[in-house]
Amino acid sequence: MVMRVSENMKFNTMIDNMFKTQSSYNKLMEKIVSQKEINRPSDDPIGMVKVLDFRESRESVEQYLRNIGGCESWLTITESKLSAAGDLLIKAREVAAAQSTETATAETRSIEAEAVQQLIGEMFALANSKYEGRYLFSGTKSEEVPFSSPERGDKEIGDAAGAGGNTSGVDVTSSGTYEGLVNKTYVVKITNWDWHDDNAWTATYDVSADGGETWISTDDSFELPDDGEVTISDIGIAGDGINLTFTDNGMAESDIANNDIFYVQALATGYYNGNGEEMSVNIGEGEPFAYSVSGEEVFTDKGEGNVDILSILNRLEIALESNDSDGIASCIDHLEAASDQIIKNTSMCGTKVNRLEIAKNNLADLDLDLTGLISNVEDADITEVMSKFAMKEIALKASYAAASRIGNLTILNFIT
Amino acid sequence: MSISALNTAKDALLSHQTAINLTGTNIANVNTLGYTRQRPVFSTLGQSVEIVEIERIYDRFLGAQINEQMHSLGYNEAKEKEVDRVETIFNEVDGGGINELLSKFWSAWEDLSANPSGQAERQSLISISQSLTSMFHSYSDGLLSVQDDANAWVQGLVHQVNNYVSDISDINSKITQTETDDVGSNTLKDKRAELLSGLAEIVDFHYFEDSNGLINAFLSNGMPLVEGIHTWELDVVTENHASNPSFYDVVFKDDPENVINGVITSGNMAGFLEMRDTTIKGYMDSLDNLVASIVDKVNTQHKQGYDMSQSSGEDLFVATKTKAKNIEISAAIIADINKIAASETINGDGGNAVSMSDIEDELTMNDGKSTFSGYYSSLVGQIGQDAADAGRNVDHHTTLLNQLTNKREEISGVSIDEEMMTLIMYQTGYNAAAKIVTTTDEMLDVLMSLVE
Repeated sequence: MVMRVSENMKFNTMIDNMFKTQSSYNKLMEKIVSQKEINRPSDDPIGMVKVLDFRESRESVEQYLRNIGGCESWLTITESKLSAAGDLLIKAREVAAAQSTETATAETRSIEAEAVQQLIGEMFALANSKYEGRYLFSGTKSEEVPFSSPERGDKEIGDAAGAGGNTSGVDVTSSGTYEGLVNKTYVVKITNWDWHDDNAWTATYDVSADGGETWISTDDSFELPDDGEVTISDIGIAGDGINLTFTDNGMAESDIANNDIFYVQALATGYYNGNGEEMSVNIGEGEPFAYSVSGEEVFTDKGEGNVDILSILNRLEIALESNDSDGIASCIDHLEAASDQIIKNTSMCGTKVNRLEIAKNNLADLDLDLTGLISNVEDADITEVMSKFAMKEIALKASYAAASRIGNLTILNFIT
Repeated sequence: MSISALNTAKDALLSHQTAINLTGTNIANVNTLGYTRQRPVFSTLGQSVEIVEIERIYDRFLGAQINEQMHSLGYNEAKEKEVDRVETIFNEVDGGGINELLSKFWSAWEDLSANPSGQAERQSLISISQSLTSMFHSYSDGLLSVQDDANAWVQGLVHQVNNYVSDISDINSKITQTETDDVGSNTLKDKRAELLSGLAEIVDFHYFEDSNGLINAFLSNGMPLVEGIHTWELDVVTENHASNPSFYDVVFKDDPENVINGVITSGNMAGFLEMRDTTIKGYMDSLDNLVASIVDKVNTQHKQGYDMSQSSGEDLFVATKTKAKNIEISAAIIADINKIAASETINGDGGNAVSMSDIEDELTMNDGKSTFSGYYSSLVGQIGQDAADAGRNVDHHTTLLNQLTNKREEISGVSIDEEMMTLIMYQTGYNAAAKIVTTTDEMLDVLMSLVE
């Protein structure tokens, strides 16, 4: 079939096709200059989603690597402090061994007592070491000096206080006898309250024995009369003998709110002020890693088969001062146990560092894989793009050449 | 006898003169958009000749097909225009968007978990949260401005439709007056075909030409736009739109209560309406959904923790502002960064910050099937897919339209070569007729000299 070719057809066909070539030429040019296969989500929607997911994973991996870096420094410092503590104990044991013999005299013992006194001071300094402003050995109470002299002979209940977010109007005091074995933080939280016309109020409350991490619902309530006081004995069922007394101090209705918190520290015997909790960060998806070594485990007798290192050193000093050779001898075994205890924890640090090392290697591999995957999807294969580009260039040149000849040949050339 | 030959020659001269004029018109309009070539129809008149009609060479069915493609092309072009702008807003190719800020937000919690009392960590968490919220605001503003743009288009297009409709009815009325003059009415018909195809780009409609040559056009549900010389104008009303009172609804001017947005199913206007009311609104809803879940999840976790003064955590995000356009960090926390509840207990540990950063990997969206980031990336993917689809559809319909236009040009377009050939043909006819005149003249001279 013969087609009628009108003037507009010639131009339209030429221009449409030239545009098509130009547009793919430009697309390729964009890929070359940006070096990217995906320059906007519509270039490859599925690829884009993949890239975003990979990038998010990579961001997490990098965060985990940063976390691991922080833990490693913490553990390295902890390890060095612990081995220094181990050295101190060896010295103490040498002293004890030397001074327990009959050759030692009251004078030498008294001199060595001074030396042991020094050791105790150094031991305190080590146990109270800080890294980046936080105490290494106070558990999660990292702002609290973990060890303070003198030793607590009795269990102690600290001063009760209201949380900073509470508004004033009520004073709280603690009383009672602590019956627990380790340091704990007790918290009372107002869950529901009722204001009475006579300025008295009643409230139901929850209690917690672990600083507020888990709550025990008591369904109990107390009533605080205007200008009066009320005591909660044994803080519900969690208090281990601790009583809290609330005293009205001109409280107004607007002063009370749900979630108002009152807390009290309960301290077991010994030097330790921290707690037995471990600090942790994520070193993988949903993989918390406890990086702190509890001072309770390291230095006190609260752990399984542990001895209280500072007490033993103190006993040694007293035995030396009082020239008590049996007392000195009895310290040797304990000092040995103490050394073991420190070594055990030092090696635990080592284990943790190893674990971090493994995690770090895995994450570094993963990071590399992810970078590769991202690059696979989003980066342009320059060789391929360049050769396509060269092809398009030839095509474009050809269409320009053809376009320049359009209309050159018509019947007009032959009509004179 | 001789006189009759002169008359015949005169008719032939006149007819060929007209034919040559027509060739001139065709050549003059070789580049006129929508011009339909015209052809004289010679016919014997007794022993003489006349031009009975000047014919427009066109294919009625092609016109309808082209208009149909114009509907689809207009529809997809409108969608492409707007979705391209949305794509620019959500272009995360080089990072720096919500995806990255979300990751950084969770990372900031990780950093805080490693040093829960650190002022620098707290400050950086607040800064990142503020960047995140302002990024949400700017995305939401961007989407809103695209919606506003589509909205402005709807209003503008309604005016255009009215102009087209009144122009078409004008031409209808002129055609009734000039039906006798072929050249004039052919030009008008060309113009009207152009107007119809312009209207076809905006809205979809059916039309037919009645026995008097008048065009009647109806919307998809049969409501008339033009009937002969009568027109029904469109208008826009505000205040009634479900999602935004400033959005225009399309109505007929004489029936402002009856919204006809749904009647317009193709063309630019349908594209803009769909983008404004469905597509972009969908993106906005997804973004709001994400924001609401983040606010809820983060606030819930934050309230389980304790701040630096042993108080329970408060809402980190203002609980009443759960949309992308207004998500906000609690002013009390910005004023006092120690109110960030990083601790699981009142002892100042970093447990709650760890739990907070764990939210990143929780399957919180889509009924527990995807994470926040996953949900967001699939939104970006969706937008990319929509943009790619719109682009592909525009390409597809452009190609079809070009083919149809070429088909029309093949039938109706002017070919210089052809016109030159017909020019030679008519010139030859004219010259021959003139020869008849001179020959007859000579014959008459011979006859006259016989009489002398």
